[in-house]
Amino acid sequence: MIRRNTLVFIMVLIIFALASCVVFPIDEGVLGRKGIRLGLDLVGGIHLVYQAQFPEGTTAEEKPRAMDRAVDTIRTRIDKYGVLEPIIQKQEGERILVQLPAFTDIEEAKRLVEQTGYLELREVELDNDGKPVYLSHYLENPNPEFFDKGEEGTRIFVDENGSPVAFVSKEGNNLTYTDEAGNPIDVEELKQGSTQLLSWIPARGEDGTQLIGGFLEEATPIPDERGGAIRAMKISIVWDEEGGVIFDDIANRLYSRPYQSPQRAIGFFLDNVLISQPHIEEPVYRGSGEITSPAGFTIEEASRLANLFESGALPMPLKKPPIYEEVVSATRGALTVDMGIKAGVIGIILVMLFMIIYYRLPGILASLALIFYGVLVLAVFKLWPGGGVTLTLAGIGGFVLSIGMAVDANVLIFERVKEELRTGRTLGAAIEAGFNRAWTAIRDSNVTTFIVCGILYWVGGRIIAGAPVMGFALTLFIGVAVSMFTAIMVTRTLLRLFVGTRLARQTSLFSVYSGKK
Amino acid sequence: MMFDIVGKRFRFFLISGVVILISIISLVTAGLKSGIEFSPGSMMTASFEQEVSQSELARELTSLGYTNAIVQRILTEEGSFLIRTRELIGEEKVDLKEALAAKFGEFEEEGFRRVDAMVAGETRDIAAIAVVAAAVGVLLYITWAFRRMPKPLRYGTCAVVALGHDMLVVLGIFSIFGGMLGWEVNLMFITGILAVIGYSVNNTVVIFDRIRENLHKGVSSNFEVVINNSLVETLSRSLNTSLTTLFVVLALLFFVGASIQNFAVVLLIGIMAGTYSSLCIAPQLLIVWEKREWGRFIQWLPIVRPAEQRIPQARVKMPQYPIPCPNCGSHNVEPAYENRLRCRECGKIFT
Repeated sequence: MIRRNTLVFIMVLIIFALASCVVFPIDEGVLGRKGIRLGLDLVGGIHLVYQAQFPEGTTAEEKPRAMDRAVDTIRTRIDKYGVLEPIIQKQEGERILVQLPAFTDIEEAKRLVEQTGYLELREVELDNDGKPVYLSHYLENPNPEFFDKGEEGTRIFVDENGSPVAFVSKEGNNLTYTDEAGNPIDVEELKQGSTQLLSWIPARGEDGTQLIGGFLEEATPIPDERGGAIRAMKISIVWDEEGGVIFDDIANRLYSRPYQSPQRAIGFFLDNVLISQPHIEEPVYRGSGEITSPAGFTIEEASRLANLFESGALPMPLKKPPIYEEVVSATRGALTVDMGIKAGVIGIILVMLFMIIYYRLPGILASLALIFYGVLVLAVFKLWPGGGVTLTLAGIGGFVLSIGMAVDANVLIFERVKEELRTGRTLGAAIEAGFNRAWTAIRDSNVTTFIVCGILYWVGGRIIAGAPVMGFALTLFIGVAVSMFTAIMVTRTLLRLFVGTRLARQTSLFSVYSGKK
Repeated sequence: MMFDIVGKRFRFFLISGVVILISIISLVTAGLKSGIEFSPGSMMTASFEQEVSQSELARELTSLGYTNAIVQRILTEEGSFLIRTRELIGEEKVDLKEALAAKFGEFEEEGFRRVDAMVAGETRDIAAIAVVAAAVGVLLYITWAFRRMPKPLRYGTCAVVALGHDMLVVLGIFSIFGGMLGWEVNLMFITGILAVIGYSVNNTVVIFDRIRENLHKGVSSNFEVVINNSLVETLSRSLNTSLTTLFVVLALLFFVGASIQNFAVVLLIGIMAGTYSSLCIAPQLLIVWEKREWGRFIQWLPIVRPAEQRIPQARVKMPQYPIPCPNCGSHNVEPAYENRLRCRECGKIFT
């Protein structure tokens, strides 16, 4: 009996040593990148959830593939920013989750993620006489027909900032005037200034393919010396093989137009906004080119655009603003970690003091068991399947709460042992009887906690902002489960070790006073 | 030393009744405020450099046009607030920040959340399902846990009534203070409520478990004595477990605060209410049910009759045992375990 107990005790010590090695690695921190993973609320960061807006008529088979492509595109964009371990996932209900730990510029993050990034090249529409077509021509023309009958695509008209003012497209035998969102516009409202608005039509190669961002191979921001502006930038682009051929087809065609005329410009449209309209200077470019802006791009703009061009367009637009957004500053995160640790430590100390004052010797043993418990729980956090538990503030809450509840098993046992001692049993017999009788109460009373943890875990997984709830459920569950183990294995083993010693004969150490009450 | 816990049962019922009545009144009139996850809006965590009072901040928000704004002070930190407004979209957030900085001096935006209507609706639905699922799960568990009881339905019902008592008290107190302190029902509140459900039933189960054991042993033929004994025997366990849990909850409340403030408050109230109901309500209800004392309780109530006409509450009469204590000779003896008796004068246990 005693020998078996010694064996169990050695086993407990080994488990403790192993758990300590896991929790307190020699060259790494307990928390953080290589330690226990911390959630967004503890390291600071951004949490965005976007709703995808598929155009009507998208089939159910196309959607999942488009979602995957969107996730890849967003990941490529974010990777350029050097964010450590970003999480980009598609979620139920055609949503995309983006979590950027330790990145706190939320406006920048939103710009990065939500821009569709659809780049297309357009040229100016010509009428039968080779003159450029303006919006006023359309408005004054009684025939609902395009001037360039060979091109059926939508015409875009932009203001002096490059923002789209109107879209003209053909519907049946009629022309419709719409705004960017597709709502019809009153033709009368468009008349003012319409003589200045050029008609931009898709620029196509000889085989009719429109040149779009998908043909881009490289986009690099480079300094723009033109005009001598300091730190002005432009973007150097390289088309892939097919794109290079198409571009040369277009350049060749535009080169034949009058020098310095508006119709010689090639328009780069990003999400319907005209960002650049350089003039064609040569008939052949051999797949490379530059995107410039009259005043030059700023460094930030140029690198953002280059990133956007290279990562490509999202297969579908995302609803703006995001359906959920959250940002926590890094200072708040660090503060929360400090406070969480403080609360945990103070909680443990209070519980230990109480146990020692109330239960004396068993209280000390329970406190030792509590230290063992704390280390073991942290080790389980780190070894939990799926790369460990991600600790959030609510998770810390669950852990701290489980400390208070972990003692419950010990309390149940000690109270039983005391009762058995009062009935006059020997210490050894009282301990065995106490543990055996308390077991059903320990088991039954923890079942409700497990039920609640299960429900909370399910809830947390289905709610957009549910990570804290999941974290709480998981840490509380682990905490209570481990507490059952430590109460039975550790506290009992320690108590049994004391049975044979001289200390154990003084029942006052168990705060039981026989015959004097 | 033997506490008579069951004897004062009418008094306990009266206390609970009054608290629950106040809770219901507050819930009906003031209600509960729905938090950021359940109704669309924005929440900013702002930490001011200069001293700012909660009411000034609230007034300023109202004058800026955010009439329904809610300001909650973070208990653990001076100058930090959670500012809840309607959904801030686009430039509105920058405008609000500038307006507040102009009035109260610089502050750091330590956190910001915005939840749109669709997400809020979904979260509300799922939270409602969770509460119902927890209630059903716990009910099923109680039915199972008490299956060996002589009258399982009765035990189950009393545990559930105690649970309802705890919920009402938590919700009521939350609604009373919610108006003053800006407490809202958020996701962590629901988490706290579910944790309290687990905790409250847990306590009741341990006590009922002991009642079952003592009934089985045949400690006394008097139901009241059995229950009182069971309560006294488990009393230090009940109190100690609640105390250790309260310690850690207080540590959470005073050292972490911020976003789990509501959670800690719910647990604080819930644990106290749960301990009270499992000690003073659930077992006593069993007795009242067993003895069919409802009429007696109504008559006992002070509002029904003037004090002098009140029917005195039946005292627990501890049975007199013919055997005196071998140690001191007293007849003041009570049942202990397994056919043993305990002397109430000197504590000696004998057969």
